[in-house]
Amino acid sequence: MDWYKILAFARGPFFQVAWLVFIGGLVYRLIRVILFGWKKDKDPADGSKLVGLVKSFLKGAIIWPFIPWVKRTFSKNPVVYLAGGFFHLGLLIILIFGTPHMLVWKSLLGFGWYTLPLPITDWFAAVTIAAMVVLLINRFINPVLRLISGPAEWFNWLLVFLPMVSGYLMTHHLINPYEKAFALHMLAVDALLIWIPFSRISHFIFYFFSRAIHGIEYGKRAVNP
Amino acid sequence: MKTENAIDSFIRETGGAVAAELEACTRCGMCAEACHFYLATGVPEYAPVWKFELMRKAYQQRFTVTGRLRVLLGLEKPIKEQDLLDWSTIVYHACTGCDRCSLVCPMGIEIGHLIADVRTGMVAAGVVPKDLYDAVQKQVTEGSPLGVTDEVFAERLDFVKDEWEVDIPLDKAGAETLVVFSSIEIMKFPQNLAAIAKILNQAKENWTISSTAREVVNFGYYEGDHALTKLFLSRVLDGAVKLGVKRIVVTECGHAYEALRWTSYNLMDVPPDIEITHIVGLLGKYVESGRIKLKKNANNQGTITFHDACKIQRLGGYIKEPRTIMKILAPDAFKELTPNREEGLCCGGGGGVIAIKDADPLRYAVFELKIDQIKEIGADTVVMACSNCRLQFTDCVGHFNLDLKVAGLSQIVADALEQ
Repeated sequence: MDWYKILAFARGPFFQVAWLVFIGGLVYRLIRVILFGWKKDKDPADGSKLVGLVKSFLKGAIIWPFIPWVKRTFSKNPVVYLAGGFFHLGLLIILIFGTPHMLVWKSLLGFGWYTLPLPITDWFAAVTIAAMVVLLINRFINPVLRLISGPAEWFNWLLVFLPMVSGYLMTHHLINPYEKAFALHMLAVDALLIWIPFSRISHFIFYFFSRAIHGIEYGKRAVNP
Repeated sequence: MKTENAIDSFIRETGGAVAAELEACTRCGMCAEACHFYLATGVPEYAPVWKFELMRKAYQQRFTVTGRLRVLLGLEKPIKEQDLLDWSTIVYHACTGCDRCSLVCPMGIEIGHLIADVRTGMVAAGVVPKDLYDAVQKQVTEGSPLGVTDEVFAERLDFVKDEWEVDIPLDKAGAETLVVFSSIEIMKFPQNLAAIAKILNQAKENWTISSTAREVVNFGYYEGDHALTKLFLSRVLDGAVKLGVKRIVVTECGHAYEALRWTSYNLMDVPPDIEITHIVGLLGKYVESGRIKLKKNANNQGTITFHDACKIQRLGGYIKEPRTIMKILAPDAFKELTPNREEGLCCGGGGGVIAIKDADPLRYAVFELKIDQIKEIGADTVVMACSNCRLQFTDCVGHFNLDLKVAGLSQIVADALEQ
């Protein structure tokens, strides 16, 4: 097989199509949700909605696992908290501060930024992959997760896992020739980009809605979200 | 039963907020660990995420490309009659609407609201548990789910006035504050009426109760029936308007406060010049401003704790007030349960669950978590500001044969009033 040609296709036209589907699909879903209509909340407020909003995002993004009460639910299921936390952290670090990824962003956006040395991103990559395996096993074992997991959930996992593992194998030269490793990585990325608008992986957009709604609601009632 | 009616109701309740929340759910299953019904039983169907599964199905199958595709490919089945029957049990027997799940959700999804929307669909399809349905109908015809008719109301009022020798003004013209009791207090905890009357009189409040706005409980709200929720709300609001009061005070009833304070405004026209507040807020203000004085250390023996009610503390915001009071009455004896405040564990009797006989085994199973919490700190007295919690506590103290004193916050305040 001519891996060089496949690579050229996967990082060329196919990559562009994947981006179009990704952005077009997400914009469509976003607009559809916004067009549902938003009723004005007529409740007189007891507390500050803005304070609730800020607290909600702080809790969601930064101090989440360190809130004492969360520790109590945490103690029931530390695996999900830690694996889920490390997965998202690792993913963001690799996508933003990994040198090859930054160069892709640079070619798309026109500017670049500081990146982390390879050993550090490599460590995060390994942790992220391990976290995904842990999350998969947990999804098999946990009775609630088994109940709520259908084909889409398993497929989500696979399509997120493939780009990661192929990227890791590529940086460690475990697939040869290099064009083949690179092509497989790009194909996996393209598939993921196309799949995201059709799946729950798109939660990273609606996250901002739901956390805001929750924060405003609890802030209005003068309680901590 | 009409499955279509339920689906239409799910779709009707889906605005931008609900759609965004349904889209945000990643099905991580973390909410399960917050739900007392799941913690007590380990039944995966009691996980909050599963309770609003029908909302998700209706939304996806109606509005999303993937949802329609899944039905076409046979990966997912449309909602059937049997689903409604199954979920009717799940959302009415195994959910108190305490909303603790929304606090652990990493996405911050208002799961409690979504489950309430599922209940509304159940009403549309006519699959409400019979006990709850009957109680609601009783409120429609008799004015109260606990049978407080005009005659019973007058009788109980006379009884309270005689027994505790308190003044309770009825339909007083020119009163500023209308106090509306719940029938749980009127029938099961009449000492609460006396206690609250004593406090208000001591504070020289210009207050009254009403013979028409005499039931603050709203079983239509439990059921999820918007029309009946409105009907019961309007009985209270119309009574307030007729008396020309400036303020309505909800007594020790959680969901009644939720319905009147946070649901009414978006359901109907509430007179804008009437303030709606809760007795715990009023108690806090009286104590802070010195309008009532409390005997220090009045309850400072043994170990005394406070149970946070979901609709008054977590969702009502009256978290500081009970603590301020407890620290005056029992500075050394007062100990917090863990978890507490917003994160407090629900008693298991709210949301109409206590009205459903078939849910009794579940309700008792859930209360065992509460017993563990109380045993952890070795409390011999537990205070709360919600009569529904109190009903669950007193019932369970009998059921489990516990050595535990259960008290209402107003009651211990009234008992400690400095003359």
